[in-house]
Amino acid sequence: MLQDILTARKGQFDPGVHTELRGQLNRQRRVVLLSGNVVANARADVSGVSARVWRNGTCGFSSMAEYSPEAARKVLEAATENAAFMDAHVPAGKPPLPALKYSRRALGWDIRDCAQKEYIEAARALDAYVTEHCPNLLSRTVVAMEDSMEKLLVTSDGMDSHVIAPRSYCYVVLTAATPEGVPVEVMRAFGGEGTFDRNFSDPASCYKEIDRLYEQLMQKREGVYADAGLKTVILGGIMTGMLSHEAVGHTVEADLVLGGSVAGPCLHKQVASEKVSLTDFAHTAFGKRCPLPVFVDDEGTPAVDVPLIENGILTGYMNNRESAEHFGMAPGGNARAWLFSDEPLIRMRNTSVHPGTDKLEDMIASVDDGYYLIDSGNGQADTTGEFMFGVTMGYEIKKGKLGRALLDTTISGVAFDMLKTVDMVGDEIVWSSSGFCGKKQPMPVGMGGPALRCKVMIGGR
Amino acid sequence: MERLTELARLILAEAEKLGADYAQCEVAESEKREFNVDGGRFSLMRTLFDREVSVTVLKEQRKGSVGINRFDEESVRAAVADSLAACESAEPDPAWEFDTEPREESFTDGCPDCDEEALFMRTRELLRDVNERHPKIMMEQMITEHDAERRVYMNSAGVVCKTTSGWYDFELMYSAHEGEKGSSFYGSSVRLQNLDKPVIDCAFIEKELADVEKQIETKPMEGKFVGTVLLAPMALAEIVLSTVSNSFLSDAALIDGTSIWKDKLGEQVADPGITVSLQPRCPDVVCGQRYTGEGYAAEDFDVIREGKLQSFLLSQYGANRVGGKRAPANGSNVTMAPGAKSLEEIIGGIERGVLVMRFSGGEPAASGEFAGVAKNSFLIENGRVTDALAETMISGCVPDMLMNVRAVSSDVLKDGTMVLPYVAFDGVTVSGR
Repeated sequence: MLQDILTARKGQFDPGVHTELRGQLNRQRRVVLLSGNVVANARADVSGVSARVWRNGTCGFSSMAEYSPEAARKVLEAATENAAFMDAHVPAGKPPLPALKYSRRALGWDIRDCAQKEYIEAARALDAYVTEHCPNLLSRTVVAMEDSMEKLLVTSDGMDSHVIAPRSYCYVVLTAATPEGVPVEVMRAFGGEGTFDRNFSDPASCYKEIDRLYEQLMQKREGVYADAGLKTVILGGIMTGMLSHEAVGHTVEADLVLGGSVAGPCLHKQVASEKVSLTDFAHTAFGKRCPLPVFVDDEGTPAVDVPLIENGILTGYMNNRESAEHFGMAPGGNARAWLFSDEPLIRMRNTSVHPGTDKLEDMIASVDDGYYLIDSGNGQADTTGEFMFGVTMGYEIKKGKLGRALLDTTISGVAFDMLKTVDMVGDEIVWSSSGFCGKKQPMPVGMGGPALRCKVMIGGR
Repeated sequence: MERLTELARLILAEAEKLGADYAQCEVAESEKREFNVDGGRFSLMRTLFDREVSVTVLKEQRKGSVGINRFDEESVRAAVADSLAACESAEPDPAWEFDTEPREESFTDGCPDCDEEALFMRTRELLRDVNERHPKIMMEQMITEHDAERRVYMNSAGVVCKTTSGWYDFELMYSAHEGEKGSSFYGSSVRLQNLDKPVIDCAFIEKELADVEKQIETKPMEGKFVGTVLLAPMALAEIVLSTVSNSFLSDAALIDGTSIWKDKLGEQVADPGITVSLQPRCPDVVCGQRYTGEGYAAEDFDVIREGKLQSFLLSQYGANRVGGKRAPANGSNVTMAPGAKSLEEIIGGIERGVLVMRFSGGEPAASGEFAGVAKNSFLIENGRVTDALAETMISGCVPDMLMNVRAVSSDVLKDGTMVLPYVAFDGVTVSGR
């Protein structure tokens, strides 16, 4: 647990500039069982202190791998010098940022640091269940992991805070061979916010979902290639979440807008069907706690929801304090850093399309010839909004009924074109939160959404 | 270096005291000086001072690892105790093995001393050169940095390797714009050991900027054809080399038996024009790997020579698990031997195909089948590069492609980490709307 040695350093902050001083501890725990053998068994603790100084539109930053009053003094000094260097050599000449009201958020909860034995035992329990109940596998992998960020932040203006954000997951990956001997794979992540002991006190709670995963694998090994071309599809909630994050979310991050993203000229314009609304939620969405809640960001801005698309109209961007000033928007608490040695970047928190009123079964029944796409392995998108997602689990839809499973395929399109084809929106949200978003630094994020009926290019063989 | 060596000795002594049968550690301290450009303007200067301690122990054939970034004795002793506690929970696995041949080595690589003024001047010059020579380019982000590192590897069998190293990295992320139209983003990068010449003249940076400027106006390709796909070096690494490395030759693929090349050692797996090597000692690689994660000295070797598979990419652990031979290096310093034809000559011989600079695709299947979007790409028709393409997918199977090589270019990208040519493959499916 970080002790507050930073507040006392506020006297060292230069007047007239914005300063942040942050102490941070990241913990990572990881166990990997490959076909029953422990091939990774590792723990890592990374801690230190950093300072960032914003002066007239450019920043200086410095960090040290040591959490001590002396290290805090040194990084403040170095960050202040770096900011002065930038201001002298490449002046941006910007006026001071509007000051934020001082507030304080104390530590919400403590976390227990589970022993490595607990990760191994949980992984073994899942592996044993797979061994017993999932015959004819080519291989199996079980991963048990936890990562957590503890941050103690003091700022020249805004919210001082002490927060801990732990999350923990088990991944189960099953591989089988098709009748032709070609390996096919499925994967499921269990867990979410919270420490490992909290999420996995009873590994048996995952067994039902493992049965379902195995059933999908057996269907997939008999699967068919999708017929390539522009098709009517039902995207499941996981796929909608990927779309929300990758294809839309990144293009409306204000730093990427300033870098020339497609969203720049589209503000206040129709970018989606009027059935589509999209928000980057801070900590509470649709009356429930978000998968990975954020209450304050690393610039000291209290976190609030940021509406991005409202009834098909692009209404806003995600900002840090500087870009918010540039665009005349309010900062919503999107500036976040991964390690103590990272500067805050504009990041998503929990990005989701809003639910509609359609029932999934009605949506599937409405498709004469198309696909129901459930799970995605990965996704990439361009600042033009052009996206590509891997589809790792899906089914044919023929005359309104689910048909054969699909072998791995991809979907692609241009987000603001594809979103205009959305004509049905499901009434249930599905969230995922086990991965990292990559953008100079990794960052845990939540992404979600309801099922969508739309048209999209699907790859075939 | 003396302080790092002392800490490494302390770790090994502590591990022995706590009953480890074997221990190894890495102790490092590093400094980073970095400039950031965002949205075309200077935004940030960073100075980072970091530390790293990693400890791996074996006890009764069980392995545990712990990493921290603190040097104080109490934290270091706790890390050793934690690694022992971690390994005690693991299953015994006789496959764990490390280098036990004592040796002591010391290396200085690259440029350990940062010339911060020169770094700033080259960064400012690069931004100016891009603005002047390529006015349609919007620099979304540019990160330029110098990294310096002192590192000690030590194990309980008497292997000691001390490295002092430093390098400059330049990473550019950009797109081209005209009015409201814009190209896809593209990333160029280079690792250097000196700042003797303008950065825009290094690697393929100038050529890549010019190519992206031609991608503002794109056309979706109509229909579908099976033809030639000419992969630029980075697309070659993304599609072909990563699949070969991860899905066919890695520890995981061979241990779990999913590698389709598991029985192909010594056999023809590619066209005779293909030679792929890992070359950490290549003169064009800056600060290449000195030792593997298991303490063995890293050496250059061929993975595929004239199309025949020479080596898997197995660690000693992986080799013991599958009864194979350890690869003499690991890491990313991959090289491919150049061919005889220039890029221009290769394009001149292609009737219909696609030149792909970047690939956006899903993880290839274990079979090597892949499908994804050809980004920053051009149509090739009758021996000429014509339209920049939008919404065009390519799909194929990596093992089949390797047997269907049309040509390997004599032009090679040397970005300080890899040496790669352009390679043209026949029989790849290209589909548009």
